[in-house]
Amino acid sequence: MRSFLRKDLLVFWRDRKEVLISLLAPILLIVVLNFAFSDLFGEDAETLDIDLGIVMEDDESLGLEQFTETVSEMDLSEVEKGAMIEQASTISPSGLMTSFFSDPELSGWITTKQISEQDAKEQVANGELDAFVKIPEGFTNDVLRKIMLDQSAETALVLQIEEQSTESDTIHSIISNYLDTLNFQFALQGVTDGELIEHILPEGGREVVDGAESFGISQYFTVAMSFLFALFIASTVAMKTTTEKRERVFNRIILTNTNPISFLMGKTISTFCFAWLQLMIVFSVCHLLLDVFEGKSMAFWIGVIVIITFFSLAVAGLSAVFTTFTLNLNNTDAANGAFNLVIMLLAAVGGNLFPIHGLPEWLQKIGEWTPNGLSLSVFMQWTQFGDLQTLMIPMVKLFVFFIGCLLIGIFLFPRRGRA
Amino acid sequence: MIETVKLSKTYKGKKAVDEIDIYLDEGESVGLLGPNGAGKSTTISIISSLLKPTSGDVKLDGKSTIKNPAEIRKVLGVVPQEIALYEELSAYENLKFFGEIYKVKKNVLEQRIQDVLDMVGLTERQKELVKTFSGGMKRRVNIAAALLHNPKILILDEPTVGIDPQSRNHILETVRKLNEENGTTILYTSHYMEEVEQLCKRVYIMDHGKVVASGSKAELLSILSSEDTIQVNLSETSDGLIEKIQSIEHIRRVDETSEGIRIISKKGTNILGDLVRAAESEGIQLTNYQMETPSLEDVFLHLTGRTLRD
Repeated sequence: MRSFLRKDLLVFWRDRKEVLISLLAPILLIVVLNFAFSDLFGEDAETLDIDLGIVMEDDESLGLEQFTETVSEMDLSEVEKGAMIEQASTISPSGLMTSFFSDPELSGWITTKQISEQDAKEQVANGELDAFVKIPEGFTNDVLRKIMLDQSAETALVLQIEEQSTESDTIHSIISNYLDTLNFQFALQGVTDGELIEHILPEGGREVVDGAESFGISQYFTVAMSFLFALFIASTVAMKTTTEKRERVFNRIILTNTNPISFLMGKTISTFCFAWLQLMIVFSVCHLLLDVFEGKSMAFWIGVIVIITFFSLAVAGLSAVFTTFTLNLNNTDAANGAFNLVIMLLAAVGGNLFPIHGLPEWLQKIGEWTPNGLSLSVFMQWTQFGDLQTLMIPMVKLFVFFIGCLLIGIFLFPRRGRA
Repeated sequence: MIETVKLSKTYKGKKAVDEIDIYLDEGESVGLLGPNGAGKSTTISIISSLLKPTSGDVKLDGKSTIKNPAEIRKVLGVVPQEIALYEELSAYENLKFFGEIYKVKKNVLEQRIQDVLDMVGLTERQKELVKTFSGGMKRRVNIAAALLHNPKILILDEPTVGIDPQSRNHILETVRKLNEENGTTILYTSHYMEEVEQLCKRVYIMDHGKVVASGSKAELLSILSSEDTIQVNLSETSDGLIEKIQSIEHIRRVDETSEGIRIISKKGTNILGDLVRAAESEGIQLTNYQMETPSLEDVFLHLTGRTLRD
């Protein structure tokens, strides 16, 4: 087997064009993508500057009065009525909304102003405002009746935007977030039997995970593209078998009475070596060029090496399957096309072509069934949390994938060349 | 030593090899002649255990090799028609790799590599990558790789296709030495009649998957003992003339050549007078008339109706 490994390493290494493509292409792509998309995505949300109008048609004190009247007319004891009115006076639905936008985290990039509906419409139309939110008349009374008396609400917040944009999407997301949190708080209040609790506002438009470091777009591109190009190593090494088959080198190998599994293992181990080296070089160069993993500890880098090692094993397993298929198929062009298709499919599902961590959870779950998707996901978690526990199970899964592929490769390997 | 018994191979309903019986005695040098598509390469692939026959058997010292190919592989060296080498490796690296997987012992492999390189005359170029070699040099390394384990039987499938005369002579001389000095049994296939005539004591002629004739050169030539081959040079040829000549008594076959026509006629018959009259009637001048000594090429033409390079 050592002879096969040495031969495969030499053959690949001497193919300078292939070596250069394997190393330079991912580095070049990562650098270009970083420069091209860093402005578009932004490394943080502060590059956003949103102008939002607030049309306040609700009179909070009038709403509270109307609610008090409603409660007074109810067939309840005075104690219950008094408690309910006192509870309602602590809730200020429209006030919560306006104070929400003045939160320091949002006020840095969202500018709000109170404005009439007529002016708001004009300013949204001429682009002075990105959107406006109308808090309609009777909003306070309606919200209080809904949450305290479970009566149906007749009014609703109105969000008006002129055209779909990143800004309008962000506002929509913030308001939804606000409403979800408000509903949650009141639901919580119902469970606590009407005890007074403090209403906690959501923390702005971005998801914040306690104790986590961010996983930025440059890190995403570096990891996703590196893993994608490593997958192609499986196809490249397997396609070398085509030449061996076409030029009858494979027949000559059969005639030596060598165990064919040695041939397969040579391909598998050499793929592991190439993928591992490629990933290490690409990560190192990209880090030096772009400072992708700035200020990370030695423990982080050891974790990265562990992920790279197990992912390279998975790529090697894939190469074993591809090699066996190459030997079994007569049309090697079709085999090459099929391998590339499989790789692109894995890349798309696994999130190497576009980030899938913003997509529905079930899609992310499917992505994690691919070795590249799983490795990408665990890399993100490792970068964010640095928790050793997060590495264990995925690494076992990648190893099982490798063993499974290897067994398939061995099982389907042509028997003794007796075609 | 090795023999095939009613060996057949069918691809998609078409018989590529049709009940072939051939044998090679120990130390013998045997030629397998035939045009493209005759079934030579398929036969070789089956004998060398790379292909399973549809029916029939291959026997090595009386034992079937079909179910247990390992035995024949140990004593067999195969030089395929293609350059079965890694172009990105040097001649030495290729030989080392194949020597290792042939399980040549480590302590003798180095010497064996130098021996086979010397045999094919590439000792000085052993460190150079195969992709930088000429076609002839590649073919020589191709032969060297098949000799590393010192095989008792060497099968060469058209080893001189598309190479320069110097390399061709070198290869022929190497094969001759292997047979005469080392006692290696040779099965040599070629388009080139003169190579087979030079190297082989016995010849099988194949066409359309069948062995159409076999024997020593003298035995094969005796097939033509009842015929004369006459080369006639003409100022020009015409269909009318050829028709007239074909109708002459005792003439069995007429083929156009670059200088005129070649006639096969019943041995000992004088057809010159009839030929001259036929040419005069067509206004064509007969410029030369020569009786030829028959060659294996003539035998092949006689048996198959086509030339080897058809």
